[in-house]
Amino acid sequence: MTKTFKHFIFIFCIGLSITHLRSQTPTDALLMDKNQLCIAPMYTHESWKEYWEGTLLRDNLNIGIFTKQSINPMLAYGITDKISVLLSLPYVTTKDSRGQLQGVSGIQDLSLFLKAKLLNFKNSSHDFGGFLTAGFGTPISNYLSDYQPYAIGLGTQEFSLRAIVKYEYKTQTYLRLGAGYYHRTDTKVERDYHYNNGSVYSEYMDVPNAMQYEVTLGQWVANNSLQIEVGTHIQSSNSGDDIRRQNPGQPTNKVNFTNGSISLRYFPAFLNGVSIIGSYAQNFAGRNIGKTQALTGTITYQFYLKKKNNSETAN
Amino acid sequence: MKNLIYLFISVFLFATFLSCEHDLPANADFDAYNYQSIDENGGNWKPIILTSNEDVVIPAPTDVNSAEYKAELSEMIAAQKTKTDNDVSAINYWGNNPAIRWNEITCDLTTKYNLIPAPNPDGTYPGPNAANPGKYPLFPYTHPPYSSRVFANLSGAWFDGLISAWHYKYKFNRPAIHKSNTEVQQLLPTSELPSYPSDAAVINAISRVILTAMFPLEKDDLIKKSDELKNSLFLSGNAVKSDIEAADSLGRGIAKIYLARAAGDGMKSAQTPKPISDSIKNAAFQRFGWSWTNQEIPERPVGLTPLYGKVKTWFVPDVAAIRPPVPPAPGSEEFKKHEAEMKSISENMTTKQRAIANFWNDGLNTYTPPGHWNRFATNDIVKYKLNPLRTVRILAYLNMAMMDAGICCWDAKFYYHYPRPVQAISGFQTILGTPNFPSYTSGHSTFSAAAAEVLSFFIPQNTTTYNQYASEASDSRIYGGIHYRFDCQAGLVQGKKIGEITVNVARNDGAQ
Repeated sequence: MTKTFKHFIFIFCIGLSITHLRSQTPTDALLMDKNQLCIAPMYTHESWKEYWEGTLLRDNLNIGIFTKQSINPMLAYGITDKISVLLSLPYVTTKDSRGQLQGVSGIQDLSLFLKAKLLNFKNSSHDFGGFLTAGFGTPISNYLSDYQPYAIGLGTQEFSLRAIVKYEYKTQTYLRLGAGYYHRTDTKVERDYHYNNGSVYSEYMDVPNAMQYEVTLGQWVANNSLQIEVGTHIQSSNSGDDIRRQNPGQPTNKVNFTNGSISLRYFPAFLNGVSIIGSYAQNFAGRNIGKTQALTGTITYQFYLKKKNNSETAN
Repeated sequence: MKNLIYLFISVFLFATFLSCEHDLPANADFDAYNYQSIDENGGNWKPIILTSNEDVVIPAPTDVNSAEYKAELSEMIAAQKTKTDNDVSAINYWGNNPAIRWNEITCDLTTKYNLIPAPNPDGTYPGPNAANPGKYPLFPYTHPPYSSRVFANLSGAWFDGLISAWHYKYKFNRPAIHKSNTEVQQLLPTSELPSYPSDAAVINAISRVILTAMFPLEKDDLIKKSDELKNSLFLSGNAVKSDIEAADSLGRGIAKIYLARAAGDGMKSAQTPKPISDSIKNAAFQRFGWSWTNQEIPERPVGLTPLYGKVKTWFVPDVAAIRPPVPPAPGSEEFKKHEAEMKSISENMTTKQRAIANFWNDGLNTYTPPGHWNRFATNDIVKYKLNPLRTVRILAYLNMAMMDAGICCWDAKFYYHYPRPVQAISGFQTILGTPNFPSYTSGHSTFSAAAAEVLSFFIPQNTTTYNQYASEASDSRIYGGIHYRFDCQAGLVQGKKIGEITVNVARNDGAQ
């Protein structure tokens, strides 16, 4: 690939981040080998007691503690050594501890991502990689997005483009940076009028687009059997209204957050192809979102659907 | 590699920019139209609270052949030459039946102010204060009783105002501008209605004055809107300044009469202090052995406007006389059947039931059920191209019936003080928030049955639709988990009675 083109990509991504401030979602710099399949069932437990109503951090005794759990049987597959496809289909369940308003359970959105490694400079000490991910997600059940905070999703089609760069020193310590743009279509609701800083006479709600940024520092320890990451994610919506005073939120809200996270990934020597990931994340700043603590547990199992030809690892 | 990048980016851009986005209009879709009739005798119809069509007097206009009138026309012709694109947008927005837009603005304001107060840090609740409207929680809180009262006073004044305007139009008979002058561009559909006073400017003045009294914080914006409409009437070739000025004075006079009535209708004491609220609750407990308690945390100590049932009605002569019968006692065999139905619906909610509950929710942060019915009414008024006088006649009776419905419903609510499902059924869960007032009867059902009855009288070809709406609005509360079926059924019966009482008045107002 030509240098000009690389510059184009870089400028394109920066351009997006400037014009559209916003985004969200976890991203890594991992690719499958060709014909390698990874099965990664993931369990997530999110909860909050306080939330940001607009910019006001408050509790709500009529909710108590809000909990959202999801099970996501994720799949990743290497089309080539440089291109992977990822599939995600979470089952989500929500409830509050007060228990007067009904929680919701259901299959949320089917998402498909294509991830490609576009840049790679490598020598004995330095390894630099550049990746691009394009994603598409769409609701596949008839859940209602206009039932916040209990709704299991935003009920929109989401198109995303994300650039990731990773620098690794002596295959031990690495820094990963990501920036993504999320384009979300309108969500259909069950009323034909709503308020979004003014009347809207439509059965659709405008769901803000978003930018997301990520900075992650990682370290391999214990003979490369344990990977530790600490990082921060920032989502910034480029439009949207605030939750109105003492009112539930709605999909039109400007949802921003900054979180801090720590993640451990363990590769047991006795189980070839298996890893266990545990992570913890905490929102410490936000707008129109819960002050969420999220715990995630994932087991990954990767294997080759066809015999592998070379010995390059997946990382 | 290069191809790969192209692929990624082009797929993304293609998908993003072709992805389906929708029009999200801030206004309903109304255009100006030719009136289906002009009701030359409308000036003789019976007003609602005015005693005659000359309660507010306006001066006779100048003659169309006078120098003054010709100067007014020249001024208009000159102004039309310098009108801007914004002026044209404003003319198209307001159209030639601006009660429709003012009704929509009332829906907007109702939504904007329809927020329930948040608790103080110490667990108490603040309340809005008309004397200090800008202090949180803002005044007004446009709950259904408040909003139905806004709509009723506004559209009642419109009706009385236009009866008076029609009277003066034909008394003075100043011809429409297009009849006497061809140099003036006509940017709106024209009619044979005499132009003095401008009916649109009467609507405009009444709206500005009444809405400013009801939404004091909106004063500046209401003046801006009202000035925009006056300017649009002038620039569109619809009304010269003297048509508008006389109308403005007539409108202000009528609005004042309505505001004087509103000031004494008892609304001021509808939101009671806790001791009065407690005594109302105790009286119900003594009478029936049950009472309603707010289930929020912290508990709201006083329900919403416990004495709204005492507010002065428009047409219902005796509120207690149409009070519905005693509901089944909580825990009784009859009650248990309803409890079982509530649980069964909550546990087996279909997508359709959920959609009905949400469509009719009309709760906080919405224009409330009265606003919803005004939307149906204005859609049909435009569809059938009704003239401004017919328009406000429908809106007046519709909204006065709904205000009476609210009063009668609130009387039953605080007389019976019946517990909501979340209070009476252990562990019960809802999909809508439970409102801060007792269960029996259902406000949605009462408002909607009254509205359907009135609209069916004026637009009989839509009777089936209106009745379906009312029955769906009523069922929606059961699906939402916030009303028992007996609340809804009693509300429908009560609302229909109020509708009938209202229609009887309308039948005899001289318009048919």
